[in-house]
Amino acid sequence: MKIVVCIKQVPASNDARIDPETKRIVREGMKAILNPFDTYAIEEGVQLRGQFGGEVIALSMGPEKAAHSLREAISLGADRAILLSDRAFGGSDTWATSYALAKAIEKIGDVDLVICGKQAVDGDTAQVGPGIAAHLDWPQATYVLKVEEASREGIRVRRMNENGYDVCQMGYPAVLTVLKDINRPPVLTLKGALAALKVDIPVWKPQDIDADPAKIGLDPSPTRVVKTSPPPPRNTVTKVIQGAPADCARELVKDLRTRGIL
Amino acid sequence: MKEQIRKKRYQVELGPPKHDTEKLEADLELFAQKYRRCLDSGYTVGITDNAMGLLAFQGAETIEELGLPVKPDQVMIHLNTFHTKENLREILESCVKLGIRYLLIISGDGSDRLPKLQPSDLGVEGQVEAVTAVELIRYVHQQYPGVFEIGAAFNPYEPADHEFEKLERKLAAGATYVITQPIIEKNAVVDEMIRRYPGLTVFVEAWMSKRISLLSEAVGYEIPESTVFDPLKTLGELHRLYPTCGVYLSLLGFKTQYHLLDGIWQ
Repeated sequence: MKIVVCIKQVPASNDARIDPETKRIVREGMKAILNPFDTYAIEEGVQLRGQFGGEVIALSMGPEKAAHSLREAISLGADRAILLSDRAFGGSDTWATSYALAKAIEKIGDVDLVICGKQAVDGDTAQVGPGIAAHLDWPQATYVLKVEEASREGIRVRRMNENGYDVCQMGYPAVLTVLKDINRPPVLTLKGALAALKVDIPVWKPQDIDADPAKIGLDPSPTRVVKTSPPPPRNTVTKVIQGAPADCARELVKDLRTRGIL
Repeated sequence: MKEQIRKKRYQVELGPPKHDTEKLEADLELFAQKYRRCLDSGYTVGITDNAMGLLAFQGAETIEELGLPVKPDQVMIHLNTFHTKENLREILESCVKLGIRYLLIISGDGSDRLPKLQPSDLGVEGQVEAVTAVELIRYVHQQYPGVFEIGAAFNPYEPADHEFEKLERKLAAGATYVITQPIIEKNAVVDEMIRRYPGLTVFVEAWMSKRISLLSEAVGYEIPESTVFDPLKTLGELHRLYPTCGVYLSLLGFKTQYHLLDGIWQ
């Protein structure tokens, strides 16, 4: 089974700055990490490879330093990695990004399954996985929390929806986006991280994936961010419960139940 | 541990490289230099375990991978409760293989990306709701009888009754030495602990950063950023106040402070 796991390098901090002109995250000088949700996607790919053989390929689009996160993906079990990096990709929104990733998946060839984390913690859009499926015209299941059964012919997954669960049966090729309930990723080992440093990560440009220049980058991206602002401050009120410990606990439980928290 | 105190040898905290470092090899080299320097000085190296919940490589695997020497009296590995059972086993087996004898077992700071040991992992399901340092100390002694000497943390900034009750359970589980949270002056709760447990090996933690305001969260009150703090002078004062205790140095500046340590512990 040939599995592609799409990953993203995201800012390590919640204090990301937004460029007032472009309304995009300023990534320069910011410490970056592998998007935490993507570690679950990698682990799911590794588990399926364990079942059916084949390979897990980590794929990312970003600046050159995103190769660091691809190395982490290799440390976590991916067999190899590919980075899409070029000035022409810069400024791509989720639609243009998913187009470029889809073109790369076509170029890799014979891919059975694409797995993404449910969303990246910087943009929080959850659109790239579904966008890839749309560009490739493959079936997809988002918010997957369990692979119920996988065979060489297809995969049955349980996905979360607003009211409960759906069980989806799909043939290959297909796209999944996964929740963190799906597995427990391994902890990175130093041996694995050092071995990943030695792996060559090819960098693909738009021409390498036959990407239409009119569909990548800032200008062709249909999304326009017109305004970005922080959420309004929360009006918190501190309530002090006084008295004997047991009475305080009773009062606290009552209060939490009244507010629907318990 | 007692011998190290008798010889007036410090414990020095070292953090292994973090997972998100973009210069892993350089960080490893720096770690190795600091580690060797401490061993050469006769100090004990205390290697942290995902301190502050920030993902880092494990102490034992770092020592093993770098081929660093282990002097059993001079290496202490921190071990917290944020591991899988399999990781825990690997860490402990590495320690055994490397001849590491000292562990500092703490509950630790978690993060979304770290697993947490479950009561069932340690065979205490139904007995506790969550694994703390107490259960982990007991488990390690059960699994590796007589192999490790285990220390525990003592936080004088927690409500004293609660902290003493926890300490009692840690000692009952098999902890034989204690390291406090950083203190910067005479501390009544630490004094009380020394009074209550006269035979216990105690290390007071000395905060070696000039930025004392970073301690605000630990001590539970706001220390203004403008506060002037002289770590070396405070270290000397701690020796005077706690002459029977060892000292654990956190955030020691290897370039700016290390060479000034000689002679402070008289």
